[in-house]
Amino acid sequence: MKITVSINLGGYSINIDEDAYAELKRYLKNLELHFAGEESSAEILSDIEARMAELFRTKLTNYKQVIDIGDVHQVITVLGTPEDISDNEGPTVSDKFSSPGYHRMYRDPDHRSIGGVCAGIAAYWDMEIWLVRVIFLILAFMGVGILIYLILYIVIPEAKTTADKIAMKGNPVNIHNIKDSVKQEFDTVRKNMKL
Amino acid sequence: MDLENNKAQMRKGILEYCILSVLSRNSCYASDIIKELKEAEVIVVEGTLYPLLTRQKNAGLLSYRWEESLQGPPRKYYELTEEGRRYLADLDKSWMELVESVNHIRTR
Repeated sequence: MKITVSINLGGYSINIDEDAYAELKRYLKNLELHFAGEESSAEILSDIEARMAELFRTKLTNYKQVIDIGDVHQVITVLGTPEDISDNEGPTVSDKFSSPGYHRMYRDPDHRSIGGVCAGIAAYWDMEIWLVRVIFLILAFMGVGILIYLILYIVIPEAKTTADKIAMKGNPVNIHNIKDSVKQEFDTVRKNMKL
Repeated sequence: MDLENNKAQMRKGILEYCILSVLSRNSCYASDIIKELKEAEVIVVEGTLYPLLTRQKNAGLLSYRWEESLQGPPRKYYELTEEGRRYLADLDKSWMELVESVNHIRTR
């Protein structure tokens, strides 16, 4: 017996095994990173998702209603890994991100209590979150903390993608890191759902 | 010398030309283009096509429209723009020149 997940892929509703879902999610994250520098990366990804959905549909029948990990591997072979899709137009953005020390300040949505500013600062300078918060509280009592917080909230972007979250901590972004990070995310989701 | 790499480079060079040629006959959606490119063995992994299509569209060579489909969600149908047709005509010309040059050397 296995748990399945129901996903919306390119407008199709697809039932997929939990392990196959994790694999698919990882693949799409890798692609997202690969195309991060493209002008219309979101469009490319949604086109690829639509094609994946089409390929998955050909694998489903009345007797086989769930996509399993074998199907995911087959479809990945057909579409190609980011390395297979490699472009011949010079270095891609993922190379830029992989350079050591790519480090940016982001608001951290995963550890926030208000807007993630303190958590983001803590991640950037590798400090304890509570220490940053205490400093802001003291500043707030002095009358300037709230204003500074608001300005930082507006100025600092939120870490939305996995690549952002890794750059927030100052680790070079590479496939290995992303894999770890996505796995962490998946484990958290699983814990939350008490599976 | 790496023969496979050499072949892959050749294929890459003509892939964009082939996509435009397929679309010059009639508008199609991505999976139709993939089918033709696969039959002609100019594409290895399907994922290569999508960034190229989007780039050609952004460059003004292609446009697309959404069309309802009986099999599922609406599909994106690509077609050549006027600029795309001119671009393709240029490529056609240089392709013929290339073939001639290569033949000239090979049959000497």
